[in-house]
Amino acid sequence: MDTSEDLTESSLLVVVLDVGLSRATTLRNDPALAGQVLEAVIAFSNAHMMMRLKNLLALVACDTETTEWIYPESKADMSDLRQQDGQHELFNELERTVRRKIAQLLKRSAGSNSKGESMLSGALGRALCYVHRMQQEERQLNARVLVVTANGQSVSQYMNFMNVFFTAQKQNVLIDVCCLGPESSLLQQGCDITGGQYFRPPQPQGLLQYLLWVFLPEPLLRNKLALPPRVKVDYRAACFCHRELVDIGFVCSVCLSIVCKFSPICTTCHTLFKTPGTLPIKPKRKKAKLV
Amino acid sequence: MAAEDDGKEYRWETGYEKTWEAIKEDDDGLLDGSVAEIIQKAKRKRMLERKSNARLGMMRHIFVVIDLSECMADQDLKPTRQICTIKLLNAFIEEFFDHNPISQMGIIVMKNKRAEKVSDLTGTAKKHIKALHQIESMPCGGEPSLQNALEMAMRSLKMLPSHASREILIILGSLTTCDPGDINQTINELKEHVIQCSLISLAGEVHICKALAKTTGGQFGVVLDDAHFKDLLLLHVEPPPAAAKLEPALIKMGFPHHVTGAVGQSKDAPMLAICMCHLDVPSECKLSAGGYFCPQCNSKYCELPVECKACGLTLASAPHLARSYHHLFPVAPFAELPFNAGDDNDPCYSCQRSYSASKDKNIYKCGRCLQIFCVDCDIFVHETLHMCPGCASHPSTTSQLK
Repeated sequence: MDTSEDLTESSLLVVVLDVGLSRATTLRNDPALAGQVLEAVIAFSNAHMMMRLKNLLALVACDTETTEWIYPESKADMSDLRQQDGQHELFNELERTVRRKIAQLLKRSAGSNSKGESMLSGALGRALCYVHRMQQEERQLNARVLVVTANGQSVSQYMNFMNVFFTAQKQNVLIDVCCLGPESSLLQQGCDITGGQYFRPPQPQGLLQYLLWVFLPEPLLRNKLALPPRVKVDYRAACFCHRELVDIGFVCSVCLSIVCKFSPICTTCHTLFKTPGTLPIKPKRKKAKLV
Repeated sequence: MAAEDDGKEYRWETGYEKTWEAIKEDDDGLLDGSVAEIIQKAKRKRMLERKSNARLGMMRHIFVVIDLSECMADQDLKPTRQICTIKLLNAFIEEFFDHNPISQMGIIVMKNKRAEKVSDLTGTAKKHIKALHQIESMPCGGEPSLQNALEMAMRSLKMLPSHASREILIILGSLTTCDPGDINQTINELKEHVIQCSLISLAGEVHICKALAKTTGGQFGVVLDDAHFKDLLLLHVEPPPAAAKLEPALIKMGFPHHVTGAVGQSKDAPMLAICMCHLDVPSECKLSAGGYFCPQCNSKYCELPVECKACGLTLASAPHLARSYHHLFPVAPFAELPFNAGDDNDPCYSCQRSYSASKDKNIYKCGRCLQIFCVDCDIFVHETLHMCPGCASHPSTTSQLK
């Protein structure tokens, strides 16, 4: 039911594509899959733009070395925009820009050693800054971010990820995650904090179908549809010394790092603690010897 | 314009301060732009002055003391001082628990020469917002008593363990106070117990208030109008630098996991229990299976963070602690560079906005990743995001613990 209010609201979708996924273990078995993922993302972006006239789209890509802004280009050359194959000019321009820039990105990082983690938190940070700018320019906007990745578990970027999730929660931005690789509890936490959808397609070949089913509906429509159930997220903290989940731990009051056993010095901030519990031994009174 | 001089110079000795010349009209004849510029400059100055690597008091226990004497019915802050204060305190409470999730707050009111505790020290915002609703409809009357309020707050605060930072924030609307004894004695006691007292005065500067703030290490401010009042209040959201006597300690905390209580989740029958947080409000207390169970004594709670009533263990979740990490690792301020319209600049690194000569007088450069940001992104990164997108995009600069 499209009331007049719904017609003026626009929906912003920012797709964060992890290009480092072409090197992930799942996809090494099927190299053609990386190309299929890109096609699925482009088709999905076109579908989002088709939903409503005022919908907005942006695309950020990241790999292990850098992040790159793909679409929209601020210095876009609109002069050679012609209709090709009967395709809507906007979709044509979107497709060409995305293919060109992703090819540039892959060429640039082709020779480098790619054992590191993807710079996903940086890409999410740029996406949120763009959302912030759009929220100030447009009156009524609901924004969401879709992350397509194959490797989400990253230890060194934990702080950055948490900052991103809390900022997204404050801005009312949903973060959806489509995870093609192993399960990532960090991204699951992010989806839970922001109210987005975490989904892991059982068959990556049918990615477009899953994207259109789960991630295309706007946030307001989602409670009317039967989407995959929310994952139960384990919010227990991991201790800094063993990286194991703890039920009861000790927290340093200065640096807030969590340890599982009491120790006199905090390993992170090197502050000394007083050992509790030991009572001072009362000095024994020497009985005066009766001579 | 909180008192800045040390009292060594009199006003007439410093010469004329033509403060009206600081505000200029812009091209359209509007003042908004220049006022916003002044606020921005003040914010940047504060950001640069903040020392990093100073020890901060993270677990804060703060008592907010509100004046409900007859001068709070004055209408110099619209609609009345009382209503304006309550409105701004609602915003303050939300921001406070957002930035300090493991802290606790209590509310005391002063009226009729007595102090009344409206809500005790708790870590959940809902209870305080309900209490503020009650205060909004309370009638103002009588005289405030600073000493009674301070004694009441001190009684609860001095019982706390030494690793917690103890603070009192007083909002005073009257210029007088009616005390049963010597307030200087109370001030000395406060200093002994390491309790930081800050004051916000709605009327004017009073010597005893300034002395109280100075002796205990707090801040004293006098409001100019309601925007300035909000600014002064929000200054207290940031954790204060820890007093020298604050002893660090390892605090035992529990991290319960959430049981949703949905049918079919676990193979055994769900454990039905009554939650401990609503024991004194029988109407809200429900027998259900979902909630957080304390790892030590298995009592059920609906929300975190909370202090377990049965065994005294503080219960929190990892994201609550993570919310406070950004205070410890703040983003370094960006260098301000003048914008030259002639250069062919790339757009802003984070929001892709092209620079224009009218809006961007200065552009900002990060010292670590050397990327350039516009003024909106500079404020956004430092106040909300707490992470530089440029630094997070490169493997060498991504960790902030360097």
